[in-house]
Amino acid sequence: MKRVMKLPTVSSLPAWFGILVLEIMLLIAMAILQPVFFSGSNLSNIVRSSAVPIILGIGMTFTILTAGIDLSVGSVLAFTGIVLSGLITHMPRAAAVIATIALVTLIVGGINGFLIGKLGLNSFVITLGSLGIFRGISYLVTNGTTRSIDTGPLINTLGDGNVGPIPGPFLVVIFVSIISIYALKSTYFGRDVFAVGGNEFAAKLAGIFTSRVKMTVYFISAFLAALAGVMQVGRLQAASPTIGAGLELTVVAGVLLGGTRLSGGVGSITGTVIGLLFLQTVSNSLTIQGVSSYWQQVVTGVLLGAAVLFDRIRIVYSGRSKRGEESNVTKE
Amino acid sequence: MTTRVLMEGISKRFDAVHALTGVNLTLHPGEVHTIAGENGSGKSTLLKILAGVLKPDAGSIAIDGTAVEFPDIRAAINHGVTMVSQELSLVPHLGVAENVFLGHNQTRNAFGIDWKDTDRRSLEILKRLNLSVNPRAEVSSLPQHEQQLVEIARALASQTKVLLLDEPTSSLAPAEVEALFNVVRQLRDDGVSIVMISHRMSEMLAISDRFTVLRDSKFIDTSTRNGVDENWLIDRMVLNKPKAATKRVKSDEPQRVVMEVKSLSDFAGSFENISFNIHEGEIVGLAGLAGAGRTELVETIVGAYSRRSGEVFINGKKIGHNTRSTMNSGIALVPDDRRLKSTIHEMSVRDNLLLAVHGRPAKNRSRKKEEKIVNSWVDKFSIKVKNLDSPISALSGGNQQKVVIARCLVSKPKVLILDEATRGIDLGAKAEIYEILRALAREGLAILVVSSEITEIFEISDRVLVMHAGELTADLDRSTIKESDVVSAATGVLV
Repeated sequence: MKRVMKLPTVSSLPAWFGILVLEIMLLIAMAILQPVFFSGSNLSNIVRSSAVPIILGIGMTFTILTAGIDLSVGSVLAFTGIVLSGLITHMPRAAAVIATIALVTLIVGGINGFLIGKLGLNSFVITLGSLGIFRGISYLVTNGTTRSIDTGPLINTLGDGNVGPIPGPFLVVIFVSIISIYALKSTYFGRDVFAVGGNEFAAKLAGIFTSRVKMTVYFISAFLAALAGVMQVGRLQAASPTIGAGLELTVVAGVLLGGTRLSGGVGSITGTVIGLLFLQTVSNSLTIQGVSSYWQQVVTGVLLGAAVLFDRIRIVYSGRSKRGEESNVTKE
Repeated sequence: MTTRVLMEGISKRFDAVHALTGVNLTLHPGEVHTIAGENGSGKSTLLKILAGVLKPDAGSIAIDGTAVEFPDIRAAINHGVTMVSQELSLVPHLGVAENVFLGHNQTRNAFGIDWKDTDRRSLEILKRLNLSVNPRAEVSSLPQHEQQLVEIARALASQTKVLLLDEPTSSLAPAEVEALFNVVRQLRDDGVSIVMISHRMSEMLAISDRFTVLRDSKFIDTSTRNGVDENWLIDRMVLNKPKAATKRVKSDEPQRVVMEVKSLSDFAGSFENISFNIHEGEIVGLAGLAGAGRTELVETIVGAYSRRSGEVFINGKKIGHNTRSTMNSGIALVPDDRRLKSTIHEMSVRDNLLLAVHGRPAKNRSRKKEEKIVNSWVDKFSIKVKNLDSPISALSGGNQQKVVIARCLVSKPKVLILDEATRGIDLGAKAEIYEILRALAREGLAILVVSSEITEIFEISDRVLVMHAGELTADLDRSTIKESDVVSAATGVLV
């Protein structure tokens, strides 16, 4: 049979390719509409404001890849700020940062990881519970007030400042992304994450410690949420119990936009970074265009629906031949 | 003889895979026509094209001399072509009559559908099929074989001239098969053309008036019943006939016990107090009916479920309780359900093959070393794969199973357990897998083969264990065993 044109098939492109194209189109459109969009300060503003969601999204990607989810990240973001505000008055700042991250990782990762990984409880229910618990504790401890923090150069650089000409949070994102991509693509742990999400029982029969893998991803998610919490403090110079309320859903939206499948086993860190960067660009563009922030939520919702729809079309399009093969070539 | 259906030069491909290449098929009125071929030869695709499920890339279809095109199933039905597929497509909670006339021209009265007339007309059709059921009965309350007849009744309700049956007997008991064949014969005598796909040689020969053989997506031969026998079919279906089974020469010296299972029970009560052992270089068959507890037994042995009591020993040493430690002790399992328990569908062939290779979690996987392992197994088992990075679901069933067996062997086990390892795999691949197992046994591997196919058990075992209702009911040596012994032990009749 002859093939007239050789285009890359839809199925051979990565799932995040469509979002990348949209992102570029959006950048071009904004360049034409609003020259101020491409000012250095606005671009660095986009980068700075997307750093925290991206760090949370990377942790979320690990949990969703195992067919789980971590809804507690927004609350943990706030909780971390509160813990830091408490510890920072008792010890040097660097020590306080390390102690805060270690403590939050142990508590949150321990609870979520043990209940979901070890006991096999449902991740949605358990992390919905921790979402409430850590938000509640944050309010209780602070009585609902915002505490301002004298962050000093280290925390400030992590969350907001520059290293030379480059924004500090940008460096953190690059660093965390590279390590995560490496972990998922080149280590046994990464392979096990995809295997557990793809077919947990098969992974177990192949000798993979599935509960250990699941436990680990909730520790990773908690660790990254704690890191993001410190960055958030650096950005705001304050800790507030209201920080990050509802952020977990934006993060999940970005992860799914990036092509990670909610049913587990399929997805990538690159997709997550692009997905969340895109959401942030959209919201920034709308703000610059003077569109009400209420519309931004509507736009996010529409984008998410469209992304899932396109992914479905992609699967059906590439799956039509696959399903045919299955029923004819590999008939069981 | 007149021609009812003429399919000429039908081609169809899925991406790079040619499912059909220039296939012809002629159907006469009032004949039963079997399409024979191995899995993957294109039989189902041909049927689906005739039924309007798939569109051909090339070729023509003519019905009663007029060229037709079927853009969808509805168009095929309007031309009198109906398919009854393996997975029945009835609406389970609707009544029999409602299902028979689903989507058809039901008569209406002033209040809507005329149910009395619908009942009366469906009863007429059901009578033709020797099926006496209440037309108002819920379809889901009928046994499987009666549901199948309801589906055929639906085809008759649309005045079908050509009835396509895709493996209609796969889930039927012998008596039900006979009843179905009586219906098929009667329909044939009424002038309906019937096309059938079956994997059971004896059934094909019993019912068919004509045969068309496909192989590797190509038309091979067609013939009337005269002169067709089992050998005629096999000669045409299989290119490289499986070599005659080379019986393993069993050495006389007593072999060392490799695995010993001592009074094993599980928490679910699927099996009770099971003890047996397997020797070096021995292939042991584990026979029994579905639900006898065989799958639960082997999955407990490898540590997927906890033991309530009992121990497993490898070379005299007690082994651990989880899948990793049993694997490290030298037990590997090829599970019974490839889709549910073996393959990670979205994962590459490469990673699926290497899934049981473990290291420290943070350790960098050496691509070079992995490449070598994968290539050596792909060569050794002649696994047909174009791209090792494509998902395993792109491979055929037989090749997927070879990947799973290779996965088990990468860790160099001392005992290999295979649970229904050849289910849904075509004859050629089956023979290849048997040959692989024999070669492994010659190298000293102890092998336990769980199978529901008695012929398979006999084909390859040196010794046969039989389970019935969670208990081990027989341990029979190959040299003295009779098929009837296995059957009676499996069904709980005392030996």
